[in-house]
Amino acid sequence: MAAAAATGGGISAEVPILHSENLTSNVKSIYYSRTFLSIISGVVAGIWGFTGLTGFVFYFLVMMVASLGLLVKAKFSINTYFDSWNRILIEGVFGGLMSFVLFWTFAYDIVHIF
Amino acid sequence: MAEELVLDTAIRDWVLVPLSVVMVLIGVLRYFVAKLMRSPSASPSPDPKHVKEGQVVIRARNLRTGAQFIPAKAFKSRKVYYTNEENGLLHVPKEEAQKAQAAMFSDPNMAMDMMKKNLSMIVPQTLTFAWVNFFFSGFVAAKIPFPLTQRFRGMLQNGIDLSTVDVSYVSSRSWYFLNLFGLRGLFSLILGEENATDDAQKMMQMGGGFGANPTMSLSAEKDSLDIIQHDWVLPKMEHHAEEVLRKLLKK
Repeated sequence: MAAAAATGGGISAEVPILHSENLTSNVKSIYYSRTFLSIISGVVAGIWGFTGLTGFVFYFLVMMVASLGLLVKAKFSINTYFDSWNRILIEGVFGGLMSFVLFWTFAYDIVHIF
Repeated sequence: MAEELVLDTAIRDWVLVPLSVVMVLIGVLRYFVAKLMRSPSASPSPDPKHVKEGQVVIRARNLRTGAQFIPAKAFKSRKVYYTNEENGLLHVPKEEAQKAQAAMFSDPNMAMDMMKKNLSMIVPQTLTFAWVNFFFSGFVAAKIPFPLTQRFRGMLQNGIDLSTVDVSYVSSRSWYFLNLFGLRGLFSLILGEENATDDAQKMMQMGGGFGANPTMSLSAEKDSLDIIQHDWVLPKMEHHAEEVLRKLLKK
């Protein structure tokens, strides 16, 4: 994961002082890690042979773990690095879903169907 | 409902894997072709007027983000400087806006660039689709690991006309479409951020007319400057400073 750059001091809660370029780069690194994770988790889910709802549950579990990891990475002070909690919780989750389904199907077919 | 189909391993070796590999390779190829075709001199000498407008927008944006740090009077006078209806920097008269739009549409360079972009997007897609259609039509190529309702039959079993096969079996043509959408994430990982394969964004740009229209961004900036709520924070700053210093002392 790319090193996160602090977007600002976050001196006061009412006045967010954010450096927009750093914010964009932080969001971008979130997006990358999510995409990477969705591909990897898709392959893993396929190899383990998850079917039906289990696979999707697995995906969202992985994404929650990723959110936790991001939280730790941001040293539990979201406002220093991002403008809102949604960035960490949902940014890129649904974008990665399509990649997840593709790689899940691919791995599942190769391992279990043929 | 339907019993399990037995799929030949030859289908995996000669349809499923090659199709995906080819899709990835074509994506990479398309990225580099688009990079080469992008006109080398994107804008050799940009129109000074455009540059000026862009700078004005940036200045106005800076004012907007820093608005809390200047007194109300200072903010107001700056705002009038940008947005007043007679000679504000961000104000664009109606006729002029239309003229600019017309000029934009008649600019041949612009149209040429758009054409190139679209061609690099459409041509490979049509070619791969034709290739898939020609060689792999009518295969059951894959099975998605989750059940779906009958509605998805048209989407997933494009090219097979059997109503008894379970819906989760995917025909090769539909596998192509799945790849088309699902590989976007992979491309953004292997090709870097500004990959040329992001079709959805392209579509959006096309829908919105000619992407970056300076007069439009001017008036958009004007609107957002108009609605901003000014609140001077510096009087409260001393309290914050005190808090911070006290915290430091406690440590």
